[in-house]
Amino acid sequence: MMAMDSEWLKGLLEAWAQVMHKHKDELIALDGLCGDSDLGLTMSEGFQAASVMVAGLDETDLGKLLYQAGKAMAGAVPSTMGTLMASGLMEAGKVLKGRQTLDAAGLVSLYQAYYEGVFKRGKANRGEKTFLDGLGPAVDSLEVSAQRGADMAEMAKLAAVAARQGYQNTQGMLARHGRMAIRGELSKDYLDPGAAVAALMIETWANYTIGGD
Amino acid sequence: MKKIINTPEGFIPEMLEGIYVAHPKELRPAGNDLHCLVSVRSHPGKVGIATGGGSGHLPLFLGYVGEGMLDGCAIGDVFQSPSAEQMLAVTQTIHQGAGVLYIYGNYNGDIFNFDMAAEMADFEHDIRVETVVVGEDVASPAPLEGEDNKRRGVAGIFFVYKCAGAVARQGKSLDEVKRIALKACDNVRSLGVALSSCTVPKVGRPSFEIAEDEMEIGMGIHGEPGIRRGKLKNADAIVDEMVASILKDLPYQKGDEVAVLVNGLGATPLEELYVMFRRVKQILDESGISIHRSYVGEFATSMEMAGASISLLRLDEELKALVDAPADTPFFKQL
Repeated sequence: MMAMDSEWLKGLLEAWAQVMHKHKDELIALDGLCGDSDLGLTMSEGFQAASVMVAGLDETDLGKLLYQAGKAMAGAVPSTMGTLMASGLMEAGKVLKGRQTLDAAGLVSLYQAYYEGVFKRGKANRGEKTFLDGLGPAVDSLEVSAQRGADMAEMAKLAAVAARQGYQNTQGMLARHGRMAIRGELSKDYLDPGAAVAALMIETWANYTIGGD
Repeated sequence: MKKIINTPEGFIPEMLEGIYVAHPKELRPAGNDLHCLVSVRSHPGKVGIATGGGSGHLPLFLGYVGEGMLDGCAIGDVFQSPSAEQMLAVTQTIHQGAGVLYIYGNYNGDIFNFDMAAEMADFEHDIRVETVVVGEDVASPAPLEGEDNKRRGVAGIFFVYKCAGAVARQGKSLDEVKRIALKACDNVRSLGVALSSCTVPKVGRPSFEIAEDEMEIGMGIHGEPGIRRGKLKNADAIVDEMVASILKDLPYQKGDEVAVLVNGLGATPLEELYVMFRRVKQILDESGISIHRSYVGEFATSMEMAGASISLLRLDEELKALVDAPADTPFFKQL
């Protein structure tokens, strides 16, 4: 198992940047159904900016790295979704300030803080068809896994399944935020692009974790 | 698209270049970023007031940076929020020891970025920041008790800048400036009408379709859906419908005194705005509401959108004195 230190975090941010770039067109198409179709661009550019920023830092404090990654994302893509993702990274940075490495509990608190940062900024609740409906189930799964002492590979696998399922479950939900909400009842027919980003993030982290086993 | 531009990409940077060279004695950039505008004049101990938002609305937002109004402004690309870091740069520059008040329109992108900037100002620089979000467009319903205000911020924000700017200039505290800004918000209402669409240069085609003989009452300044679309009526009928919606919302009542703003959205001539204002005055006279001060012109536009908005600010003695106070900014001067 790879130690969850600054090199691990830099690699994770790079993996997130790569996966957002790879799925750029898919996110653009998904967002274009209801939004202004810039989600693929902002996620690709935003995670790229975050990754490049931390790659160049000679810093081992995970909290400071996450905070700087968030600031870089916020500066690069000040769109709604860009700012939400930046808020997640910055909140995780504040919570993990002073930590050089993470154990399983620390990893869970990273995602809990990310969730909290997005929640506080966007003020959306679970079930309102947003990013949180993808990340939320993954955080729930991580908490349960950590409590029963599952190993990291199993935690990651289960969380990835939960995030993907959470994303699928956004179909049928009534949108309460953003441009999708303008569609009213019709919004139920669509999958939420923000939750798709959450699923990609968790799946990528899972592959990164298991691949590094 | 028919515009006097060089390239869509150059539109905002070149506009900003023009702003700085036209107003060198009034505006300067905070740091090296042209998107961060601050007043060249500073007043130690004064509460700093910052605003911001997307470009495409001149004179909003940057045009009101100056004496008696705002101290700084961060602006983004057309209809796009500036970044939190740009807002932070403005905040740091205009902080004069008494804290900073953010006043901006009720749009998600702006809220997220201003909130983040406020946290960074506190967390990284120990600057106290307070926030007033303006949402006074009666095209969407008023919030119920305990609900968030979903109303958009449109031209009425001018009155909030005016009152808060005047009280800040008197050297009052951050809490006091915020109280006045909130009081102005409580007493201002606006409604617009659109006759044609604007075109975002990087998009290259109109933001929405509207037929030659149609109008849309309540459309937002980025083309957001309004209350109703219908056949274009004559000026009096349009103003009657708009003012009726505004009056019943607060409600403005017999005996009230108000300041009036009839604002052009970009492609509507001043002549038409005065035709509208004439009718506003008639209605207010009939309703027993007196006009203390009037403003007619372009205050908050949507590039080349045709149409107008009407805003009313209910006044008491306190707000009256602040509305009357002098102001000197690149786009707004009052003796």
